[in-house]
Amino acid sequence: MEALFQKSNSKRHRLISNKFLQSLNDRNFDLLDFDKLKENLQSAIELEHSTIPPYLCALYSIKEGTNEFAVKTIRSIVVEEMLHMVMAANILNAIGGSPAINTPDFIPEYPTKLPMIDETFMVDLGKFSKESIDIFLQIEKSADHKPHGGDDYHSIGEFYTAIRESLILIDKNTPGGIFTGKPELQVTSEQYYGSGGKLIPVYCLEDALEAIEEIMGQGEGIDNSIYDGDQEMFGEDKEYAHYFKFNEIYHERKYSPTDKSDDEPSGHPINIEWNEVYNMQKNPKMSDYPVGSELYQKTYEFNKTYMALLNNLHDACNGQPDMLLKGVALMYDLKYKALELMKTPYEDDGLMAGPSFEYVN
Amino acid sequence: MSKKTPKESFLTISVYLTGYSQVDLLGTGMLDTYYNTFVENLEIENVTTYFKEVDQILDNSGNSEEKINEGITKVLFGSALVSLTTNLITMWYTGNWGQDVISPESYTQGLIWNAAQAHPPGAKQPGYGSWADEPIEIPTI
Amino acid sequence: MNDHEYDVVIVGSGIAGSVLTKTLTQAGKKVLLLEAGLQAGIAFDAEKNFQNYQYYLNTFYKAGAKVPNSPYPNIEDAQSINVLDIEKITPENKPTTNGYLVQEGPLPFASDCLRGPGGTTLHWLGSTPRMLPNDFRMKTEYGVGVDWPITYDELKPYYEMAENEIGISGDVEDQKVPEKVVGDKTIYYNVDRTYGKDYVFPMKKIPQSYLDKVCMNRSKGLKVELNKVVYDIVYSSTPQGRNSIPDPRYKLTGITWDQRAKKLVLHRKDDYEYQPVGSNWDPYTGQRCEGNASCVPICPVQAKYNALKTLRKSDPEYLAIITQAVASRIFYDKGSNDITGIEYKKYKYADSTVFETKVAKGKIYVLAASAIENAKILLASGIANSSDQVGRNLMDHFVMLTWGLLPEKGFPYRGPGSTTNISTFRDGTFRKEHSAWISPIDNWGWAWPTFAPGTDLSNALSEGMFGKKLRAHLNDVITRQLLLHFECEQIPDPNNRVTIDPKYKDQLGNYRPVIQYQSTEYMNKAMEAAKKVSDQIFKAYGVEDFTDYTMKNADAVKYNGKVYNFWGAGHIVGTHRMGSSKEHSVVNPDQRTWDHDNLYLVGCGNMPTIGTSNPTLTMTALSFKAAESILKQLEKNEDHGSTFSKKQFETT
Ligand SMILES: Cc1cc2nc3c(=O)[nH]c(=O)nc-3n(C[C@H](O)[C@H](O)[C@H](O)COP(=O)(O)OP(=O)(O)OC[C@H]3O[C@@H](n4cnc5c(N)ncnc54)[C@H](O)[C@@H]3O)c2cc1C
Ligand code: SF4
Repeated sequence: MEALFQKSNSKRHRLISNKFLQSLNDRNFDLLDFDKLKENLQSAIELEHSTIPPYLCALYSIKEGTNEFAVKTIRSIVVEEMLHMVMAANILNAIGGSPAINTPDFIPEYPTKLPMIDETFMVDLGKFSKESIDIFLQIEKSADHKPHGGDDYHSIGEFYTAIRESLILIDKNTPGGIFTGKPELQVTSEQYYGSGGKLIPVYCLEDALEAIEEIMGQGEGIDNSIYDGDQEMFGEDKEYAHYFKFNEIYHERKYSPTDKSDDEPSGHPINIEWNEVYNMQKNPKMSDYPVGSELYQKTYEFNKTYMALLNNLHDACNGQPDMLLKGVALMYDLKYKALELMKTPYEDDGLMAGPSFEYVN
Repeated sequence: MSKKTPKESFLTISVYLTGYSQVDLLGTGMLDTYYNTFVENLEIENVTTYFKEVDQILDNSGNSEEKINEGITKVLFGSALVSLTTNLITMWYTGNWGQDVISPESYTQGLIWNAAQAHPPGAKQPGYGSWADEPIEIPTI
Repeated sequence: MNDHEYDVVIVGSGIAGSVLTKTLTQAGKKVLLLEAGLQAGIAFDAEKNFQNYQYYLNTFYKAGAKVPNSPYPNIEDAQSINVLDIEKITPENKPTTNGYLVQEGPLPFASDCLRGPGGTTLHWLGSTPRMLPNDFRMKTEYGVGVDWPITYDELKPYYEMAENEIGISGDVEDQKVPEKVVGDKTIYYNVDRTYGKDYVFPMKKIPQSYLDKVCMNRSKGLKVELNKVVYDIVYSSTPQGRNSIPDPRYKLTGITWDQRAKKLVLHRKDDYEYQPVGSNWDPYTGQRCEGNASCVPICPVQAKYNALKTLRKSDPEYLAIITQAVASRIFYDKGSNDITGIEYKKYKYADSTVFETKVAKGKIYVLAASAIENAKILLASGIANSSDQVGRNLMDHFVMLTWGLLPEKGFPYRGPGSTTNISTFRDGTFRKEHSAWISPIDNWGWAWPTFAPGTDLSNALSEGMFGKKLRAHLNDVITRQLLLHFECEQIPDPNNRVTIDPKYKDQLGNYRPVIQYQSTEYMNKAMEAAKKVSDQIFKAYGVEDFTDYTMKNADAVKYNGKVYNFWGAGHIVGTHRMGSSKEHSVVNPDQRTWDHDNLYLVGCGNMPTIGTSNPTLTMTALSFKAAESILKQLEKNEDHGSTFSKKQFETT
């Protein structure tokens, strides 16, 4: 039994991976270091993934049939985070790396620091609330929105900027280029649907840059506009970048077309019902429950499903792209299992159980 | 055995009647609704009788599943209580009280779909192409 | 827009009406669309649209009997035909008058449709096989029914438009279905010829179900015998109007009116990527079929096509829509026979008895109110009927169901209603004797004939089962359920008809359709044959047969001492058929009534025969043909000055 769940100590939080830590400590990592580039792309995958469990918890905790706007918004953001994750894997595959998505330290232990060294806030697994949206805003915040300090990356955007530069430099300096990965490893748009953006398969430097553009555009917006890059690249309807989408929820108001990126949204009010949520216990753990108890068992099943999904993503990004479509079924199953937990009392204090997103094998 | 509230008795006996664990039943989020529906649809004397019988079965069984099942067959499926019992089971399995669907949510939480390794038509969509494979089975410990 | 400005007045926003509205407004013609259903159902604004649809969905969840019309409002002012109203017709109980239809029998007509914005495609299943070339010449090939005035090849370009508009997922290769058996050899249709070389559908086929695969695996190389002829059991994936993965080879972008060439053109672009059309409230919802397994009655994500997706593409500048407007009568000029207006009753709110009577006017008029309603309006107006064919030849597929338990789990109740069909008996010389049929494998267990799985539960409970044993029993039984359809083509029969009777009117004073309907030897023989085939297939699958036909069933026939039951397919066809002569048909190949130069009819009522295909794809193809004819007619008039006498605006 012991081996089935990881030892947890919620006072200590572990960062995404030690490798990642190092790369971030070293702000000016050698842009010409090819191995480092691969490590950083692996970190990018982990980074994109790390936001998914918190977003999913917030999303699932919203009661069915309520908070339409928030549900639609967060759902689209989560789907896009997954898209980013797969695209980061595509880039890594394109340069001959191999993405690792199902290793024990792939999942952060919540609460976790966002893998940004100068960030001071903690990310929880918790219900949809003003507090959690506030944290999400900080996650998605772009570099320009806060003071710079120290040598570290200030945002996901800065991190990708470094990756981009490194890709360009190393590709230029390598005879024959670095885009020598097997093309059949690429996950293509055929295997992806359901949100704005587009899954870009990567076969050359231009593709890689386009993919990075897409990732950065959706997260933080392009050039400080509140729109993401989609309509420029794909002629889609106007879509806000994630930060601004969360900001609309936070302020319970839509942006009006004249709002600048520094403004608070000033358009139509949105109906947000902060109370129409399952009152999920923050950062639940399997170890909260007696081993073998029904809740332990349910949480374990949830985590097994989550592992199945990670395994599936791993396979999809390592030679079986068609697996991504099968992952959709796992995604839904995960949701229904999470909901069962959220409807089950945690203790007699009005709190509910919830998904714990822990590594099990 | 400590004194149970009727709702607790309702939940406990539901476990034996449906074949689903307590957390499975709680996970539907329907306990309150179903308990209320059950109570509201019966004369108060019948409610009292029913839970008296239920408590007797639970208390006299020494936690033996076999004994409880015997009690259920004999008493809850006895001619006086059988229609209440089948209504109760039907409620968990289909979300109906008699012919009536209790609420949109009760329909989507019907356990019969889980028993069938399917999902309620029109809800809990399993995703593109899922039907081309066997239903997902996550091995338990 | 003032009344007199309309180029075209269209009645009904189902797929037929929507295809016309879209095509005509996009070509810059001013259209007035009259729709009997509630205003809320047509909302184009994303939020209102979503809310209205969620209301439908919750109504469906809450419905005790989840029949096709269960999610949608049934308005007293424009009632929908509803399968719940079907009763057994007996000498003592005749006619039956429940609901909208008055049924004189001897058998009740068993299909319904939806009166509301978007029409019946809101609850259609979405199976869209094309008709087979021989279906267009039944009289010539087999001596039964009638030939169509157009051939398969003539309809082919319009099929391509329909497949583009609906957004079909499918595999053309799989449409290589048997044409006939010669000696011991099966001759197949050649898809290079029927579809054209390199033709593909917009999207790849919807994955066939696990259940389909179980059936196919258990019957590899299966042959069945029928009347001494041996047939190969052939499986085809079913083309369908629900979203799947775009086929990168599909390069057809869309349909526009080419004013110079005077025809509709389906454009091709080499660097085109097909985009699945998502829901009406959010383009990212419904880009793939999510397997809700509730396509009939409602697809929660609108991955399945519905007519409102087409209507939304109309050019709003040229479109006026009046909802809650029930067309009741059509006026015409006795001299020229030109139609001069359509009378409609606009009711105030759902079920209200308060209404205003108005007249809609345009240059051209189109009825797209579905086969029974179209015929009824024509009869009520006393028009278009010099052939005496209006209301006659009412057809449907007789759906004979057979059901049993597989020896292994097939895991039904998942995925779209049907993903595979047995195409063996879709064509063949046996059609001289009895009807052909298509046999979809049903993915939804015994739900249709037995109301499973609810009845599985009540049966088990009545045996005293409970707890873990009950749960295991249900798992064992429900997961092994198999249901096959045998959808038998009905042959046009003048006695199967819609009439009207002043005794029967609805609350707005509009006629209710009165139906006479019967089965013939040709049909009964088909059911007998189909059951023999079913028995052989079940045997090969190792299925234990639980099929149970009884005379108590509303649609029951006894043939050669055996009882057969059939159900309605929802395919309401034939009530104002197209033909090559004014004497025997109501509309010409342009879909224009022979009797009135400015009156067109669209919908399955135009189809002379039904074949073994679900009719909507073929009907949609014909609707594009109608749109083209109307545009030609309008532009001819514009070129040469109006051929309509000004009279039409003067007489009312
Ligand atoms: C359960 C079911 C499943 C089906 N599955 C399939 C399938 O898989 N494949 C297939 O090909 N076909 C299928 N069909 C058939 C298909 O739905 C119809 O052929 C098709 O929808 C008909 O379209 P329509 O536009 O002609 O008529 P409808 O969609 O019925 O539209 C008629 C429109 O006219 C309006 N109207 C009616 N009367 C009046 C009036 N007096 N005044 C003003 N407006 C009026 C209505 O409100 C409605 O909007 C199915 C049908 C059913 C019932
Ligand atoms: S299976 Fe579900 S998602 Fe697919 S078309 Fe049917 S109802 Fe819609």
